[in-house]
Amino acid sequence: MLTASKNEASDLREIEAFLYREADLLDAGNLRAWRDLFTEDGTYWLPISPDQDDPLGHISIIYEDKMMMAIRAENFGHRLAASMQYAVRSSHIVANTRLQERSADGSEIVVKSNFQAVIYYRTQSVYAGTCTHKLRREESDWRIVQKRVDLINCDADHKSIVIYI
Amino acid sequence: MSYSVGRLDKLVEKNRVHRDVYTNPEVFDLEMERLWGRAWVYVGHESQVSQAGEFITTSIGTEPVVLSRDKFGQVHVLYNRCGHKGAKVAAHKTGKTSMFRCPYHGWSYHLDGKLNVVPHDRGYDDTGFDREDPQFSMQPVARVASHRGFVFASLAGDGPDLKTFLGATIATIDNMCDRSPVGKVEVVGSSLPYMHDCNWKMFIENLNDAVHPMVAHASVGHATRKVVDGLPEGAPTPGEAEIISPFGGSYEFFDSLGCRTMPFGHSFMGGKGSIHSSYSEIPGYMESMVASYGQKKVDEILSQNRHNTTVYPSFTLKDAVQVARVCRPIAVDKTLIESWHFRLVGAPEEMLHRTITYSRLINSPASMVGPDDWDCYERMQNSLQSESAHWVDMRRFIGQEKLEGDVTVSPGTSDQASRNQYKAWSAYMTGEVA
Ligand SMILES: [Fe+2]
Repeated sequence: MLTASKNEASDLREIEAFLYREADLLDAGNLRAWRDLFTEDGTYWLPISPDQDDPLGHISIIYEDKMMMAIRAENFGHRLAASMQYAVRSSHIVANTRLQERSADGSEIVVKSNFQAVIYYRTQSVYAGTCTHKLRREESDWRIVQKRVDLINCDADHKSIVIYI
Repeated sequence: MSYSVGRLDKLVEKNRVHRDVYTNPEVFDLEMERLWGRAWVYVGHESQVSQAGEFITTSIGTEPVVLSRDKFGQVHVLYNRCGHKGAKVAAHKTGKTSMFRCPYHGWSYHLDGKLNVVPHDRGYDDTGFDREDPQFSMQPVARVASHRGFVFASLAGDGPDLKTFLGATIATIDNMCDRSPVGKVEVVGSSLPYMHDCNWKMFIENLNDAVHPMVAHASVGHATRKVVDGLPEGAPTPGEAEIISPFGGSYEFFDSLGCRTMPFGHSFMGGKGSIHSSYSEIPGYMESMVASYGQKKVDEILSQNRHNTTVYPSFTLKDAVQVARVCRPIAVDKTLIESWHFRLVGAPEEMLHRTITYSRLINSPASMVGPDDWDCYERMQNSLQSESAHWVDMRRFIGQEKLEGDVTVSPGTSDQASRNQYKAWSAYMTGEVA
């Protein structure tokens, strides 16, 4: 549950700035710097069904830890990959940001946001849905413990998705 | 149709096929009628309809069908078409119901497809309407049979029985089930769909094409090695790397696995070893297996390890990873591939976790393996339109096949699996018994 805080509005602005920075790195295709935003135990999760609660015992579109993120960063744009011989450009709009949970000491929060991402990869596609970021304060900045992206069409018959959404 | 049987025959030669088999919509329509309309096609697994009233919707070729279980426990495969005006009756991918009801005029059907209620049926008095006439039902497909819970259907009344059709591939299904301490597998959750902009045969031919991984999957192989090499010394190889790395295996590795082909277009690679042979053990699994079967039998079960058993034209199975992929042609240049994941009943849940991880890393539309295959298929679909040449070559290692009973063995990087598929293709398409 969200504990009321007199600093809530300023917290939210700070968190929004963090989410914009994260989206910016994806839009720039900078997967290495994007990966650095995650904690060592951080994960990225793109479930395949609405309300999916299990990333291990049920298939997901993506569920990756930092090692997989590193492999993906190496593979992204690789000259030997047929799927990488095209431009990958995206534009994220992040909005409706709201704090869902805050730990007692304020060092961990869960924040939800809505997003629309237009991704140009061979053709232009629109992805939309809800992001749930679990953030942890490490030193002076937030770090992502988990970014969960619930697409409104998570269970659709997707074609290739070559970058994190 | 302008495609005569004589012309279809000319599309396949012993070491090449005409590009029309991939690009011509008339050929596609004829495939739906003659090949997909006759072969045993995978429909689903009985565990998906384990209770009375449960159903799933899918397709056989381009025919919409329902797999259902009636109140007596009987499994049915029905055309998903209302006997009244022809609307699709069941739209959900899965469900549970006491009857099927068409949302248009309210005709309802029992789970075996028989007509139940026709609203306001006074209007049919003295019209010759016969509610027993099959045309007013959700009609059953001609033949349904299953093996270890894997349900196949044929739209044709005649042809080989399922066991004859499956032939040597039956041992892959058996092996996957035997890897459960109680000899049973069950489907877990929903499928992983992946829409492909290519002809269905490109996906099927790629399954046992071992000349492509070295090239098409080189990047993810390199990327994985680079990251794993950077791990601290002595760190265990992550499970993900164990799964991805063999995709960059050498030509020699794949040649040594060998390719085995059999009647009706089926094939698999390996047998005693595969790209899945060097996975580390999952704690508790061996113990549960030995308790059930005894060490000798367990060694026998686990020594079988086949890669991509292809049950032509619709189905491919990985016995050692418990993943099935189903090929669902939609149009000449559009194919839906659905991955399904199986739990080894009675085995530690970590076995399922590996199955799931495997599929996410290899089969997902957002994996780093599937999209490179996808891209190559799409490139073929596009550039086969070129008028510069009309034939697609498949002559690698031709003439070097060895017969072992009705199984033909070739070096792993042979095109024999494709040649064998086109042998079956020709037989179906020109009307000979395959
Ligand atoms: Fe491949």
